[in-house]
Amino acid sequence: MLAPATIWLLAFLLLPVASLLAMSLAKRGPYSSVIWTFTWENFARALDHKYLTVLIRTMCYASATTGICLVLGFPFAYFLSFYAGHRRETFLILLMIPFWTSCLVSIYSWIIILGRAGLLNNFLLNLGVISTPLGILNTPFSVILGLVYFYLPFMILPLYSSLEKIPRSYIEASYDLGAGTIQTFSKVTLPLALPGVFAGCILTFVPCIGDFLTAEFLGGPKTYLIGNLVQNQFLMAQDWPFGAALTTILLVSLISGVYFYQKLEAAELERA
Amino acid sequence: MAKPVTRREFLKLAVVGAASPWLLACAAKEKEREVNFFNWSKYIGKDTLSGFTKDSGIKVNYEEFADEAEMFAKLRSGARGYDLIIGTDYMIPSLKGLNVIDPYPTGVLTKTGNIDKQFLNTPYDPDNAFTIPYLWGTTGIGYNKKMMPKPPTSWWDLWDEKYSGKISILDNARDCISTGLLLKGLPETTTDEKDFAAVRDLLVKQRPLVKQYSSTQYMDSLVAGELFMAMAWSGDVLQSARENPHLDYVIPKEGSYMWVDNLCLVRGSQHREDTLRLVDYLLEGPVAADIANTVRYATPNAEAKKTLDKDLLKDPRVFPPPKMAKLLKFHSLLEPDIQQLWTDTWEDVKVAG
Repeated sequence: MLAPATIWLLAFLLLPVASLLAMSLAKRGPYSSVIWTFTWENFARALDHKYLTVLIRTMCYASATTGICLVLGFPFAYFLSFYAGHRRETFLILLMIPFWTSCLVSIYSWIIILGRAGLLNNFLLNLGVISTPLGILNTPFSVILGLVYFYLPFMILPLYSSLEKIPRSYIEASYDLGAGTIQTFSKVTLPLALPGVFAGCILTFVPCIGDFLTAEFLGGPKTYLIGNLVQNQFLMAQDWPFGAALTTILLVSLISGVYFYQKLEAAELERA
Repeated sequence: MAKPVTRREFLKLAVVGAASPWLLACAAKEKEREVNFFNWSKYIGKDTLSGFTKDSGIKVNYEEFADEAEMFAKLRSGARGYDLIIGTDYMIPSLKGLNVIDPYPTGVLTKTGNIDKQFLNTPYDPDNAFTIPYLWGTTGIGYNKKMMPKPPTSWWDLWDEKYSGKISILDNARDCISTGLLLKGLPETTTDEKDFAAVRDLLVKQRPLVKQYSSTQYMDSLVAGELFMAMAWSGDVLQSARENPHLDYVIPKEGSYMWVDNLCLVRGSQHREDTLRLVDYLLEGPVAADIANTVRYATPNAEAKKTLDKDLLKDPRVFPPPKMAKLLKFHSLLEPDIQQLWTDTWEDVKVAG
């Protein structure tokens, strides 16, 4: 008998991935039609150096976003877990509200805030900090800001849940044994929170790699990311096989990355 | 005393009762008259569709696209349900090649006489079989008068480093590469890869100055004062000028392209009769005039010019006078393999380091 889980896997994972693979081996025909053949052409083309720059750029943006999210998210999760007390629920809901908003709506609100005649520029102009409006929109800065804004909850939630799991008695024991605040944090809290740090980083980094809306609306030519390249293959360039090949490469490298990381982590745990 | 219901009678009643929603649905389906119209965004009059529904009793399900590629992708992936779409002149061969549009039946439309002869028997539809012209416009430069006291006159202004980070370029292979070819003095029908490499280099040189490649968002940016200049479509800028009176539009002195957007019948449509009725309605002079008045593009409808806003009719930015019209060309029709060269060249510009 087919268990529900098997049906689910088949319908929502294997079928789409299989059609993606089949498409990636096909060829673009006249009038952008798809010719079903077996060719590695698309993969060869994807490895061209001109697309490599886009890939490297995407990795840089995703890493920067993940790093900033970690730096911003850790203190927040720490505060939530150790100091927020009964107001914890409120903070968690406040954290989630932007996340429930449509992604397009939040991107457009950033356009309104960051624009030349936007809220931020008006505020700074009125304060006299600047004399001419700053061109913040469509720069790498605005793209990173948009990415961090959108993916911060992905970082905070796993961090928070791993910090929550730390038995408070360990921390008390550390203090009892004479460790100071800094030592307790670096020798007890942080190592125990590491699974949350890694989970948060993966949950932020992976969707960041595929993000195209943020770069499309808040970015410019300098922030053309792999997500935009893929989207363009399906819409503008009408080259679905090439788009499918790019997606396959991205998917395979991300899955193997996560897989090796988990292997590494398991080995580490065994050693400890 | 009520008559007792026998078991048999009860069964009969039950069957009829159970079937009645289905029967009702069938009857309703027969009566349901609708057209599914897929149009460019901001490309219709405020009361056009409600007026049609009031006239004919036919419902219009109206959907907009912001990007012709989006429309094209939906149609070619076999999205069913659209009855009427808008196709730009140079896309007609592709739409025909992919078998997604049908020819108009002869003798059904009553208002085709309203179409300006200039827009009939065109290279993209020599027999007027597949297209009914809807609106037309030009590609040029939209700019902000407040930021540019000296208006741009040349395409080369979009390569001027003075305006670095202050310009927007249409995210459209057709417009950008044809402009590049024009500036390089090369024919649009070239098949020489060297020519495409030259255009690519020219556009890559412009890339560091570009704030955004955009075919729709640039309107908001122009209105918000983010941009000094934008490579733009005529009506888009003139619509935006309602929100920001500093905006103006110019056709560069090197010349440019004009294009015609056409109403096309989608193959496999379930509402052909109602669709044709809508096309006929859109061809009515006052209706076409109202659309043009709203969207500020030029109408190919000769009858509509009688009721068009006088200032729109006299606006050289909308209806270029003969001297300016000489600078305008239609896009050439391209073979599929050459079309791929165009999209590949544009892709190279977008990914350039």
